[in-house]
Amino acid sequence: MKIRLKLFFALFFASLGLFAWQAPTVHAETTYTIGTDVTFPPFVYANSNNKYVGIDMELIRSIAKEEGFKVDIKPLGFNAAVQSLSSGQIDGVIAGMTITDERKQTLDFSTPYYESGIVMAVAPSSKITSLKGLKGKTVAVKTGTQGAAYANSIKDKYGFKVVTFDDSDNVYNDVKTGNSAACFDDSAVLNYGVKTGLGLKVVTKPADVGQYGFAVKKGQNQKLLKMFNAGLAKLKKNGKYDQIIKKYTGKTATSKTTKSNSEDRTFLGLLRQNQKAILNGILETLKLTIVSIICATIFGILVGLLGVLPNKFARGASTTIIYIFRGLPLLVLALFIYNGIPSLTGTKIPAFVAGIITLTLNEGAYTAAFVKGGIDAVDSGQMEAARSLGLPFGKAMRKVILPQGIKIMVPSFINQFIITLKDTSILSIIGILELTQTGKIIIARNLEGFKVWAIIAVIYLLIITLLTLLSKWVERRIND
Amino acid sequence: MANLKVDVSDLNKSFGDNHVLKGIDFKVANNEVVVLIGPSGSGKSTLLRCLNRLEAPTSGEVSIDGRDISNIKTNIDQARENIGMVFQHFNLFNNLTVGQNIELAPVELGKLSKEDAAAQAKKLLATVGLEDKYDAKPQSLSGGQKQRVAIARALAMNPDIMLFDEPTSALDPEMVGDVLEVMKKLAKEGMTMVVVTHEMGFAKEMADRVVFMADGVVVEEGKPEDVFDHPQNERTKAFLDKVINV
Repeated sequence: MKIRLKLFFALFFASLGLFAWQAPTVHAETTYTIGTDVTFPPFVYANSNNKYVGIDMELIRSIAKEEGFKVDIKPLGFNAAVQSLSSGQIDGVIAGMTITDERKQTLDFSTPYYESGIVMAVAPSSKITSLKGLKGKTVAVKTGTQGAAYANSIKDKYGFKVVTFDDSDNVYNDVKTGNSAACFDDSAVLNYGVKTGLGLKVVTKPADVGQYGFAVKKGQNQKLLKMFNAGLAKLKKNGKYDQIIKKYTGKTATSKTTKSNSEDRTFLGLLRQNQKAILNGILETLKLTIVSIICATIFGILVGLLGVLPNKFARGASTTIIYIFRGLPLLVLALFIYNGIPSLTGTKIPAFVAGIITLTLNEGAYTAAFVKGGIDAVDSGQMEAARSLGLPFGKAMRKVILPQGIKIMVPSFINQFIITLKDTSILSIIGILELTQTGKIIIARNLEGFKVWAIIAVIYLLIITLLTLLSKWVERRIND
Repeated sequence: MANLKVDVSDLNKSFGDNHVLKGIDFKVANNEVVVLIGPSGSGKSTLLRCLNRLEAPTSGEVSIDGRDISNIKTNIDQARENIGMVFQHFNLFNNLTVGQNIELAPVELGKLSKEDAAAQAKKLLATVGLEDKYDAKPQSLSGGQKQRVAIARALAMNPDIMLFDEPTSALDPEMVGDVLEVMKKLAKEGMTMVVVTHEMGFAKEMADRVVFMADGVVVEEGKPEDVFDHPQNERTKAFLDKVINV
């Protein structure tokens, strides 16, 4: 038992080491973490090698090169990126963001780098040609975008309902499947989409024309903002800016997508093209799963044991911890830790660490509950007999009660491990590039929703099967 | 009274509103065998469990070997080392073998080395007639065998008093004899014993004193022949009529 305990702690500290290893390392050049959208072509999207390209990406990279800093691009999704920026988790956002007065209250913007308006797109077969045709219909928009703000500002006037999605491809799909009659988005984005075979048509002139800017949190990273402005001016001067814009909005832009349309779209083809991205996603998912299983198990056992101590306060603390962290939705907890706490304290928490803390607290609370239950399930006569021999509480617990309780708990542990693996997918919300987020990004590029999600689902099932087999093997070892 | 093993005075115990022991005075001398009898719910088991503080007294004093058990400052673990207890439902440790059940406490509490504890366990198993069960799992034993192992386990700490809480009540009738045999052997060797039981035969044969309890008080006590043959109290008479004339 003692050796096992030591092994446990060794693993625990090894996993802590993993965090430390992930923590920012000092570079000669400053590295800025830049948040962006998952997909917002032609400004941001992953190419077939899953490298992030587009106007915004080329601009920020070129400017970084000009000004001598490094960028770490995080495709968090538009909404999450802006939230992470205002909580100070990242340094800047470039994601085709329109400069508005409202946003200016919390963000500082660069000089505008692009001008665009909001247009409406409908399915090719749709008879709707103007805003008037939307009466009684539903319109799809993306959370937090200017298109969404525009749609909401006119929905009462034209009598339509608004549904919001986190990803552009879900917006377009909703229109294509006919759930929504139309969608609103930036003209550059929709025009590019139409040109590259999105399967929608644009039916209105740009309205609500706005300018795109790079943003930092108000009053912070002013040096970065200055460098961006200086770099942008240089690019405009030396012709590189025009070159980038032309590359993505000019006629040549289409040739790129013809190539992407001719990608092998069979299951095997999709797997082969995205091999590296999927493999990285699996690794990240496994890393999250293993580290959080270890941390949650330790945390859960400690809290569970606290709950069976002969002390009112210890038991109360245990019950409260279980109540809080079992009661909170995982999604809320993840956002609270990643975005909520840093905006209060001003210290960054890396997404991976925030993810581990989230899972440790939530899964740990469930673990604590069944650890407590398992110990309570051991006949009380066992404890009485051990105590009557003069064994102190701790010894009686370790030698007599726990070995029996653990046997009762083993199936629950296996169950919890599997749930933990599945719950890592929720951490895609804070931009961790695990398997689910990888899937989202691949789909954002090729719109092969069914096939890609099927692939991701099968991979999850495979990992779960392996985990189950491993657990059963351990269970047999324990019971022998 | 230097040779008093157990000295209980004005012991009260309540579970919530339920006043189970109502001012008990109870003494046991060295080497004495005392049998507690009485209807169920009379408080016999609770009294016994107060003697090693498995139940904490509500008020009153309990001292064993001059050590104040009822005082919260007393190191109860140390005190319990000298007080063996045998339960109605045996409570053998299900995760351990018979041998390990007996060796656990002496080894963990640093009384004996592993080797010495094993040797002692085998010897104790022989005294209770189960020398061949050293490696067996408790689950494979009959009730009578389990109870004899439980007695051996309690004896392994070398206690100078043994408490028996209805040791034969959960046994099939044909198993009762074996367990009583072991208890008689202990009594003859001079062990101080407090026994809660419904085995009137054992009480008659082995008890130095019989204590009859009802409704949380000691109603009558005395030598077995006096209590059984010439009960003074009506309640004692009624109880004995019921249990003996079945």
